Amino acid sequence: MSKRQLAMVMDLNKCIGCQTCTVACKTQWTNRNGREYMYWNNVETYPGEGYPKKWMELGGGFDAAGDLQDGIIPNIEADYGVPWDYNYESLASQNLLGKDADKDGYSVLGASTPGFHPTSQPTWGPNWDEDEGAGNFPSDNYFFYLPRICNHCTNPGCLSACPRDAIFKRDEDGVVLVDLDRCQGYRYCIAGCPYKKIYFNPKISKSEKCILCFPRVEVGLPPACAQQCVGRIRFVGFLDDEESQVYKLVKKHKVALPLRSDYGTQPNIYYIPPTESPAKFDENGKIIEGSTRVPMEELEALFGKEVHEVVKTLKAEQAKRKETGESEILDLLIAYHHSEMFRLDNNYYQEVAKAKGQNPLAPIDTRYIKGKNTKVLFGGGHH
Amino acid sequence: MKTLKTLLAASFVATTAMANSSISAVKVDDGVDLSKVKADDKIWSKAKSANIVLYPQTTIKMNDKNANEMNAQNMAKEAKVLAIYNKNDVAFKIKWKDETQNATDINSSSNEYADGFAVQLPTNFSDPQKLPYIGMGSEGRPVLVHLQKAVRTHYEPNGNQTVALQVNRDNTNAFEEDLAAFDKNVSDAAISDYQRAYIAEGFRSMTQIRDNDSAFAMDMSYNKEGWSAIMSKKLKDGYLDLSASGAFPVALAVWDGAKFGRDGLKNLSTWVAVDFEDKKGDEALVAELTQKPEGDAVAGKALADTMCASCHSYGDKVAAMPTMAPNLSNIGGYSTHAYLVESIKEPSAVVVPGYNRNAHKNTAWYTLGEKGERVSTMPPMMSDEKQIADTVAYLLTLKAEVK
Repeated sequence: MSKRQLAMVMDLNKCIGCQTCTVACKTQWTNRNGREYMYWNNVETYPGEGYPKKWMELGGGFDAAGDLQDGIIPNIEADYGVPWDYNYESLASQNLLGKDADKDGYSVLGASTPGFHPTSQPTWGPNWDEDEGAGNFPSDNYFFYLPRICNHCTNPGCLSACPRDAIFKRDEDGVVLVDLDRCQGYRYCIAGCPYKKIYFNPKISKSEKCILCFPRVEVGLPPACAQQCVGRIRFVGFLDDEESQVYKLVKKHKVALPLRSDYGTQPNIYYIPPTESPAKFDENGKIIEGSTRVPMEELEALFGKEVHEVVKTLKAEQAKRKETGESEILDLLIAYHHSEMFRLDNNYYQEVAKAKGQNPLAPIDTRYIKGKNTKVLFGGGHH
Repeated sequence: MKTLKTLLAASFVATTAMANSSISAVKVDDGVDLSKVKADDKIWSKAKSANIVLYPQTTIKMNDKNANEMNAQNMAKEAKVLAIYNKNDVAFKIKWKDETQNATDINSSSNEYADGFAVQLPTNFSDPQKLPYIGMGSEGRPVLVHLQKAVRTHYEPNGNQTVALQVNRDNTNAFEEDLAAFDKNVSDAAISDYQRAYIAEGFRSMTQIRDNDSAFAMDMSYNKEGWSAIMSKKLKDGYLDLSASGAFPVALAVWDGAKFGRDGLKNLSTWVAVDFEDKKGDEALVAELTQKPEGDAVAGKALADTMCASCHSYGDKVAAMPTMAPNLSNIGGYSTHAYLVESIKEPSAVVVPGYNRNAHKNTAWYTLGEKGERVSTMPPMMSDEKQIADTVAYLLTLKAEVK
């Protein structure tokens, strides 16, 4: 366990699925160098297959006794989906469809006279099932958006699975990082992570993951996904900082819950469960008073038994607000001032860097930098 | 994996009779640069081939569900090993069967793996009774590991100030010649020959040597039967001096990418003596690594079943929790006689780090002593020399059959 823990709270009632967080993360970190297929931040539709496909069924995490469980490593093409592009040069020659267009009139990959077509035939991708959800339209269909980043767990499955001690949890803020110098690309971390939020980079043959934008956080800026969130759903702060809104939501008011905490990794990304959904319609199209579309069993599966209490609290606060005009919880969730959602401490990181004699903080695991077994660890060429 | 089902004394005699032979290193002309030698060079015709058996690693189980299913029935593999040396270098040629050639590159998927091989050497072998633990050495007994993987293209993570080349080619705003030039620069930045030297003191501690002080060369070539690999190194470098010895221990490992092989999903040999043909001072090491057990394996089995099986699993003995202790199913394949004796008498002499301590908290293989040293959770089990000899004789029969 780290000395301090940085955490994020995401308010699912306010997520509109606009993917601005996804794009912010992508342009900041994953649009290059073998990371193109990765989404360190993704927003999936729940219920749905998720990203990667059926991630909740791929194992990893811990059982009740605390033993790491075997897991399955997803395939880039079949389970994540490769980002594809098009042969734009065909447009220059006005050869849009080619000769062997399929029945829908689309050009086919590998056709004898190829027209405008994707460079690889996509079979799956993130948000392949976006907005599908479950239930019957219009009577009781439902879905909500579930934004996911690495949970920077207190008991990380990825770290426990690594046979090289290449994954470490920073003492100063609990951010879980891969030491790329030690990583050998064995990928047991992917099997061990129940959220499948650590990815294999085939270009460098190493694992990479969300770094909670630590270079931004160290200078007092929130992670890119949180800063860019137009719905103001993301709160960032230290769990032990009583002034932070994260502390107030998670510890003081206890209205934010971790996702699938039954995996035993003690995740540090918390969610305000979706309490708001329209009422169902009966067969005549009439509103069924008091009904709600998102089944509580689904929420319980995602957020645990505590979700009942949380939903009750939130509903009570709404009522209180209506009656009295006052509610600290709702004031927090409304997020009047974006800047107040983040409480990061540049000075704190500067102190840590000073104490370590590193400025900026180096993203390496200090267990192996003493050079006990190797004369030179960094710098110098290799064979 | 197949283990011995019949427990007749005769079958023990048969298996132990196949005790490891040494590799006889043949002296070649001092003028030849052995770092340039290839697998099909004539120079190998002078060398003597030894059959070394590589056993599936079963001491710990990895957490990749699909890979575990693929590797559940693994058998031992035989490698043909030749060694030559001169006053500067020593070179090995290793041939093993592999039905499929698996190489990876930047287009490989997240569940494709490369074939590979490794040569492991102890940095100190002055006491042949106290060689490093076979799996990546042990505390105070480091090993050098030379690894090559069949990797077509590989890029180091941003070590060489090549940030501009990391951009996706679709995002370069370059066309025609400019794009071709970009592609060429990117391809020039790739490493197409993935060979590494590491030093390690046990599972997880393996650290890459980057100071050029371990001079070595490796090569892998595939024909339809399998791989032929070369590993050559200077007799003396910053980590290891073989020049004054009459013999030295070596251990080999191979990985099969088709079976998701990497890291612990491998076949490995025990310590094998490499005997320089014209150098003296080889007797103690060769004798230690080729000795046949004198104990009674049948009596040893009875002892093991009562004294070992409550924590260790092996063969059809799976009474213990699988993560409780090192699985002994192939212990006879990749352990030396001396290591087994030492581990029974003095379990904390060599402590196998095993799983990440966070992964299986309830079945820790060691506790930390006052000075942070590892103390095995296994108590010293036997002190009677006859009992130890019998148990070791039995443990040495625990190994998969050769395919």
